[in-house]
Amino acid sequence: MDNLKEQLPNTPPEGTTWEVELKKVGFVRRLLMGRHWYGADWWFVVISSIAVLAFIIVAIAPGLFAPYSPDALVGPRFLAPGAYAELSVLVVPQDSKVNQLEDLAVPEGADRPQIAVVQDVPTSGDLNTQAQAIDQELKNQPAGLRLRPIIDRYASLDEALQAVVEGKDIAAVIQTTEYKNSHAQFPTLREAASLTGEKVAGGFILGTNDIGQDIFSRMLWGTRIALIIGFSSSLLSLFLGVPLGLLAGFMGGAFDRLLSLVMDSLYAFPGLILAIAITAVLGPSMLNIIIAIAVLYIPTYYRIVRGQTLTVKEEVYIEAARSIGARRWDILWRYIFPNVIPSVAIIFSVNVADAILTGAGLSFLGLGLPPTMADWGIDLARGQRFIQSAWWMITFPGLAILLVVLSFTLMGEGLTEIFNPKLRDR
Amino acid sequence: MSDDILYSVHNLSVDYKTRGGAVRAVDNVSLDIRRGEILGLVGESGCGKSTFGKALLRLHDGPASIPEGELWFDGRDLMKLSINEMPAIRGAELGMVFQDPMTSLNPVQSIMEHLTETIQAHEPKVSNAAARARAEELVERLGIRHERLKEYPHQMSGGMRQRVMISLALALRAKLVIADEPTTSLDVIVEAKFLDLLKELREEFGLTILLITHNIGVVAEICDRVAVMYAAKMVEVGTAEEVFAQPKHPYTQGLLKSVPNINMGEGELYKMGGEPPSLLHPPTGCRFHPRCPAAMEICSRIEPTFESVAGDHMAACWLYQKQTDSQASTRKKANLG
Amino acid sequence: MSPIALIALIIGVPAVLLLAYVLITGSSGLRRYILTRVALTLPMVFILGTLVFFILRILPGDPVSSALGPKGTPEMIAHIRTQLGLNDPLIVQYGRFLKNMVTLKFGNSLVGGHRPIIDEMSERFPATLELIIPASILALVIGIFGGTLAASKRKKPTDYGFRIFAVFIYSLPVFWFGLILQLLFGVKLGWLPISGRIDPIIGTTLKTYTNIYSIDALITGNWPAFWSVVQHLILPVVTLGLIQSGLFIRMTRANVIETLQADFIGAARARGIREHVLIYKHALKNAMIPVITLIGLQVAILLAGAVLTETVFSLPGMGSYLVERISARDYNAVQSVITVFAMLVAVISLAVDIIYSLVDPRVRY
Repeated sequence: MDNLKEQLPNTPPEGTTWEVELKKVGFVRRLLMGRHWYGADWWFVVISSIAVLAFIIVAIAPGLFAPYSPDALVGPRFLAPGAYAELSVLVVPQDSKVNQLEDLAVPEGADRPQIAVVQDVPTSGDLNTQAQAIDQELKNQPAGLRLRPIIDRYASLDEALQAVVEGKDIAAVIQTTEYKNSHAQFPTLREAASLTGEKVAGGFILGTNDIGQDIFSRMLWGTRIALIIGFSSSLLSLFLGVPLGLLAGFMGGAFDRLLSLVMDSLYAFPGLILAIAITAVLGPSMLNIIIAIAVLYIPTYYRIVRGQTLTVKEEVYIEAARSIGARRWDILWRYIFPNVIPSVAIIFSVNVADAILTGAGLSFLGLGLPPTMADWGIDLARGQRFIQSAWWMITFPGLAILLVVLSFTLMGEGLTEIFNPKLRDR
Repeated sequence: MSDDILYSVHNLSVDYKTRGGAVRAVDNVSLDIRRGEILGLVGESGCGKSTFGKALLRLHDGPASIPEGELWFDGRDLMKLSINEMPAIRGAELGMVFQDPMTSLNPVQSIMEHLTETIQAHEPKVSNAAARARAEELVERLGIRHERLKEYPHQMSGGMRQRVMISLALALRAKLVIADEPTTSLDVIVEAKFLDLLKELREEFGLTILLITHNIGVVAEICDRVAVMYAAKMVEVGTAEEVFAQPKHPYTQGLLKSVPNINMGEGELYKMGGEPPSLLHPPTGCRFHPRCPAAMEICSRIEPTFESVAGDHMAACWLYQKQTDSQASTRKKANLG
Repeated sequence: MSPIALIALIIGVPAVLLLAYVLITGSSGLRRYILTRVALTLPMVFILGTLVFFILRILPGDPVSSALGPKGTPEMIAHIRTQLGLNDPLIVQYGRFLKNMVTLKFGNSLVGGHRPIIDEMSERFPATLELIIPASILALVIGIFGGTLAASKRKKPTDYGFRIFAVFIYSLPVFWFGLILQLLFGVKLGWLPISGRIDPIIGTTLKTYTNIYSIDALITGNWPAFWSVVQHLILPVVTLGLIQSGLFIRMTRANVIETLQADFIGAARARGIREHVLIYKHALKNAMIPVITLIGLQVAILLAGAVLTETVFSLPGMGSYLVERISARDYNAVQSVITVFAMLVAVISLAVDIIYSLVDPRVRY
């Protein structure tokens, strides 16, 4: 039955040429016709390629996408995603020079600043405490400034804010959350700092971590590290494993047997554990992780390439080529190499996925990167300590790992089906 | 339909979905199989004979489908049954023997298990012991010692395996056995023994056999009637004497001429020109016309109908058609029965 | 009797008896195959051990000075190095290493109480066993069932669903998955405990023989303890097992699909054998055979996953032991643990190959 499935027309009466080309069709053709032929697998490859591309772009220039630097302490600690800290903030007119409470200090004898608050709300108490504390400090300074604000109480938030707009009060002190609700109605006002001088911040898309860094930014910056580790180690493995495989397959003999024995033993060994051992000795640094992970995957490339080389070597046309006197190098290059490339491409994408997972695992265990770097594994380890209170610290970095790894794996899956449905080796 | 016809196929077509489009592997083929006969179905590889054979059991792989046709087996049209009713008929009334007995047997199952499973699949009430007894009795008749039943397929020779296949087909006394290239993987001596066995079985069990093969020699040896297929179409049917002595269709003639014969001299080997056509875009009119030494103008335009040439000897060729141009252009689905 | 010895006896004695039975009753072909495999395992263990040895010795980084830290004066370092034999020529060290490996003398821990490493390991090993065995079983069950189901409904939604699930699971970081389960079932829903092997209070009532708490609880009829252990095991086992199942699903599915295309399936169908019998009996039996060898390969991934899972769930097993010892710069322990892992992988590979030869009749004769 198989010979019916793809027949070449030999005497095409009105035969269309694309059928004749069917067998000789190249990679690009296959890709384009793929949607029709390969069904879901084609979609896998396309979607995951787009995702991978997106990740690469983010990795190259995280600064373009991340609102903050990963190390910057941008807000209160343990802020839930999208939440605002319940702080008392200073609200001033847009053009005001006042940025913090201290700015309201005036020389002895000058008009005391008037500050609006809402009645029956604890903010006035906070204001008093803060003002007094600042005042004490100021008293000890030679500049002769004092901070003793006059507190105007208003019945409602809107009235208090209106007073600032009209200039009756120089500033208002209200709760952040309440301000968020109303601030659209008062476009001429802005938030200055909180009473305690912290930058008023909130509304971080994914929240903040245990020391106040923005999780979203760290997620984006983490992409760079993950992809660097993934690609570098995979490329290293490739450039070591593929030539070794080609050589071993082509040359055979004792060299092949010995190398294969070593590679098989390495291959059978738990990857993570070997990586742990290597980094343990070399010490934590990005380069060492890359080397450790690279070592893990050399056997995979080696085996596949060697296997393919052996198969191709036995095919008759190699003998034919040799009988014509083609040089060994030519044989290698022209016949064996092109057959090997599709398999290597598949392995590479799965390899990157795995390398990222292993790298994250290593840093999660604290054995990889120095803890100051913005890496997903490190963030997860940190988050574990606060799992009871700050669920967002572990959810998002892990999600990032999942998405990146998934993209590469899907790509590998799809490519496997397209290039060679029988190929099942990892 | 007369009583001596066991299986009457009317206008059967089988389509295959391929990347290039739908291929019609069997195109409007009709055939009668008479009770107790050995009917040979010949043709080149890819002409559709295997597909035809499988379709008789409504067995097909994923991409294949049967868009039209009637399968009148023993008084009922199998096409009218739901596909779930077919397993009861397969093996019990219709049997099939495949080309390669090594791959047709489950490598991790013993021969005995193959047999008892088949028996119990159709007669669930049969106990294990009874099934085993029946299996032993069955294979004795076919020349297999029952000590060998506990062995696995890879431990047996090719000829022995093929006997196992027949015994599986006969386990439930099937009325019609379809043998798809059964001797292609056997050497000549084993093949001869196998063919003798088939003849004996026909005598003893009243078996009807459809023998599908590309080997004319085999057909000449044991077949009562012969059917010839070319490019998914039936081109000639007749008794063995008729077809061998007076082949009507040019393709049959060419086929017979190509058989090497020990009395030939050097350089006499006849080769038919051309190659089998693509079924994706078959030739217009008669499919054989590009290679036919007797092709006429009409052959490239209109397809000849399959009709009687001399009594029960039928062929599809313009050389014998009695219709005129205009009559032939109205394509009627002939009812051959 | 130490827990490790007990476990070794429980598993080892029946295994050896079974092996003897097979060797005696099996054919000469089978006997030859098994003996060859056993013979090949030894070099593999040696190679791995050697690799470990050289990695830890040749690569830069001095274990002793790391262990002593800034307090270590050059004299102290030199003295301890000589004591540990680290200044001897590499060959001598290697020889000593081999000898120790064969006799299972792992030496003492470099830090802390300087306890014999083998004692520490035998305390930790049962916890790992208690984790990986149920996890493997779970993975196999899900994998085989899911893979076959997916193959039987090929190209339909169920198939794609399982494939996506398998790829998804494979991409899931095992430690993150554990954390999420902890979050969901431990913190948010409060149904299950998130760390440890057993409730500490109930744990004091448990008398341990094998140190596999679940078995010990069963033996002593201590139901509260048993229940507590099970509760503590659910999340880690599900974490590890589910992640493992991904590969099994893919492999089983691929194998079953390929087997279903084989001729003998078509021949059986022609005999009237029904579809579901074809799939679940014939195809599965044939497809399972390569999956068995996959189990052998999976052990490596299983152990790696165990390291991470034990860390997430604070289970005192070999995996977390390894991580602790590395942070503590205890190179002796690290080396020993890795060697033990290597041996474990080799032994399990061997067992898998032998089982394979028993299952596939083609190999036997």
